[in-house]
Amino acid sequence: MIPKQLLQEVLQKALSTGADFAEIYVEHTKENNIFMIDNKVDSIKDRLISGVGIRILKGTRCVTGSTSSMERDALLACAGRVAGALDGVPECASVHLTERLFGDIHTVKIVPDSASMQYKTDLLKEGYFAAKNYHREISQVSANLLDFDHNILIANSDGLLAQDRQIRTRMNIEAIASNGTENQTGGCRPGRRMGLELFDMISPKDIGTEAARQAVTVLHADYLKAGRMPVAIENGFGGVIFHEACGHSLEASCVSIGQSQFAGKLGQQIANEKVTAIDDGTIPNAWGSFNIDDEGTPAQRKVLIEKGILKNYMIDKLNGRRMGMEGNGSCRRQGYQWAPTSRMSNTFIDNGPDRNEDIIKSIEYGLYAKDMGGGSVNPTTGAFNFSVKEGYIIRNGEICEAVRGASLIGNGADIIKDIDMVGQNLATGQGMCGASSGSIPTDVGQPLIRVSNITVGGR
Amino acid sequence: MNYNDFKNSIIKSATAKGLTEYELYYTESENISAEALMHEINEFSTSSNAGACFRCIYQGRMGYASTELFTEAEAERLVEAAMENAAAIESEDTVFIHGAGDTYEKLEATETTEPSSTEMIESTLHLLEKLYANDMRVIDGSQTFTGYGRQRIALYNSKGLDLEHAFDYSQMGAVAVVKDGEDMFNSYCVKTDDFTKFDMDDIAAKAVEDAVAQIGKDSVDSGVYNIVLSNKMMATMLRTFFEVFSAEQAQRGLSLLAGKEGEAIASERVTIVDDPFCKDTFIRMPFDGEGVATRRNHVIEQGKLCTLLHNLATAHKAGVASTGNGRKAGYAAAVSVLPYNFYLEKGGAGSKEDIFAKVGEGIYVTALNGLHAGANAVTGDFSLAAEGFLISGGEIRHAVKNFTVSGNFYEMLRKIALVGDDLEFSSPSSCCFGAPTVMVEEISVAGK
Repeated sequence: MIPKQLLQEVLQKALSTGADFAEIYVEHTKENNIFMIDNKVDSIKDRLISGVGIRILKGTRCVTGSTSSMERDALLACAGRVAGALDGVPECASVHLTERLFGDIHTVKIVPDSASMQYKTDLLKEGYFAAKNYHREISQVSANLLDFDHNILIANSDGLLAQDRQIRTRMNIEAIASNGTENQTGGCRPGRRMGLELFDMISPKDIGTEAARQAVTVLHADYLKAGRMPVAIENGFGGVIFHEACGHSLEASCVSIGQSQFAGKLGQQIANEKVTAIDDGTIPNAWGSFNIDDEGTPAQRKVLIEKGILKNYMIDKLNGRRMGMEGNGSCRRQGYQWAPTSRMSNTFIDNGPDRNEDIIKSIEYGLYAKDMGGGSVNPTTGAFNFSVKEGYIIRNGEICEAVRGASLIGNGADIIKDIDMVGQNLATGQGMCGASSGSIPTDVGQPLIRVSNITVGGR
Repeated sequence: MNYNDFKNSIIKSATAKGLTEYELYYTESENISAEALMHEINEFSTSSNAGACFRCIYQGRMGYASTELFTEAEAERLVEAAMENAAAIESEDTVFIHGAGDTYEKLEATETTEPSSTEMIESTLHLLEKLYANDMRVIDGSQTFTGYGRQRIALYNSKGLDLEHAFDYSQMGAVAVVKDGEDMFNSYCVKTDDFTKFDMDDIAAKAVEDAVAQIGKDSVDSGVYNIVLSNKMMATMLRTFFEVFSAEQAQRGLSLLAGKEGEAIASERVTIVDDPFCKDTFIRMPFDGEGVATRRNHVIEQGKLCTLLHNLATAHKAGVASTGNGRKAGYAAAVSVLPYNFYLEKGGAGSKEDIFAKVGEGIYVTALNGLHAGANAVTGDFSLAAEGFLISGGEIRHAVKNFTVSGNFYEMLRKIALVGDDLEFSSPSSCCFGAPTVMVEEISVAGK
């Protein structure tokens, strides 16, 4: 994308005021998004994202700059602006970049950008009309077919020069069920780090049907009465509970400055002993996978919590310096305009010892949360929330009538102790996670679990 | 290649392809910020980014393509991609490239003071020290920052429009982190203004006061309460549910306000305005994303829905004029419907303390979390994690922990019983939302 000689020059310029580390991140991303509504292809977003982010470190001080211009003068000017924030003298000798190939474990059979428009719109329509024709109460459907061809190059003053090409494909169908006075929604949005062959694995028809089924189910459900109760949370996107209640608080960005409930607790029992949690950026073709992270460190599989004991954090170079630890393939950024930091990749609670039917049977009165929406957390206080899109009342150990959307709230450090049953049907769900370094694709996951007691917001 | 050269390349390519109706929309932004932590600057950043979106009418349909790479070859690719995308569009809605002839509001120059790097670093460190000095329990001030941003928007089209507008502003903010035993609490205060006008003592005091107030949280019983929403949280609700006032959403059956113009949809204390010229914020625009002259619109007047917000396509469908709200969520997005400064007007219920006194018993909500998931603009339903205080005997008693508020936005508009006079706007993104403190009757709360 940029000649090696120029990369070296830019790095040298960035180091000119005493930084001990300099990095250049070059991005070239093609984004394509076909949008359908009212039974028709309504709009197409076709975008090229192109630019450069430069970062220097001096100890734990960090200076970043970005520019959308790839021209030599602009790159050197950006490096100059970045260097201008420090006022020392150069410490490093000359930069020599040595290219490294990390390989690609994520096969892509159909590169989306090379497929015809007709091929893509046919896939989208199959999903769209499966939702639209599901039931007479489906009043509207909106659907997207999204693909990203994200090319990155990372070069730094340690001599690293590496590239990665990350292709991701996702279909997102949202169905609206209406009885004339009220609307309810249902959605389904699978994605993978692969090409359009995703739809050989997950049929668009199933995506549409699932979205519509959920909308109709919720339209006929009553509101849930608020209160505290035991909750069984289903697999797949249910893993958002771990992502919010615990995952964010294990990111070095808050751990390194002591603003996490889990800072300084390595080796301690922080969760129920049935809980083993893993962040794994190496799963072939998973939504949150990559070959190298956004500072050029290979992706890793990290056991965060083993049988309830805290084993590891997600660490990037800068926060690693504060913690006296090495980066472990967890540094991510949405793109060149964001400063990178520690983030999750594919994060899940592993299968546990309990049979799924025993989990449901164990609950006298509670909530079975079948599908979840997103959530958020304040890592400093540990207060988190996430929403239930489709839930059912459990009475005397049996799943009964559907109830409408509610939110579940709690405190991270408390709730991971209250996950007291862990089932055996591990599956993942796809999300876009938003934080200081932008919006990035992450997988959440878990088997069916039971939380012994949690506040359920209903009415 | 700069904007003008790129524009000329686009014109050349579009003309060569025989296009007669097309537009180039361009945004350019420059940002600089300094952030401090633990007594020192930990991050300093500058950015200079630009993006352009080309759209054209081809075979009666509108096609879009956008880029951040400004070369002659890319200009050519952009025109071809937009034509190819137009050919795949099936929507039969009439599409428009807007002609010249509108009268645009002459906005007085709002050039603010651009701080130097040194000034930003010094003021950020200064603010952080003020946080520490404010209260012994402050252990840190994460995300204490000073920022300055400037944005330029240009729109050129084949029908003779060649418009440009720029605005800039500074921001200053801090998160005060306080520790009480094992528990930590934090609170955010951010202000937007001209750099020379910030009152650092006020920002530090506000952040610390709000964090300290959370110490000693107690739970509340689940039940139905009268809720006082802080001005910031009422503005947050408007941001979350703005789409219900979009004619585009209504025409798609995604807003229950479709066809309700002229009807009472809210309590008579509710008047909502969208003002692109509002002097209380820094987002002021004379033209929208289609080049239509903007105007001040009354959306709700004393409870009655006056109009939904329109772009050219939705207005054509409804047989009305565009309200000048054809805007894009980012340069690369298709034209949609978005507000400028969208706010609930001041009412006569006085300060928030006056409202507490009138309510007697209830809960004062100062934070709502998880809005992207726990609130649904299509159904109007919300169930949200909240933070706040118990009101008893007409006064604030203690902070409340771990509770949710649940309801429906459409119903909530009818249940706004008191509207205060402390109108405040949220920090600007591309749209600003504002509100005074309000009291909403009978909202479900989940606590213990």
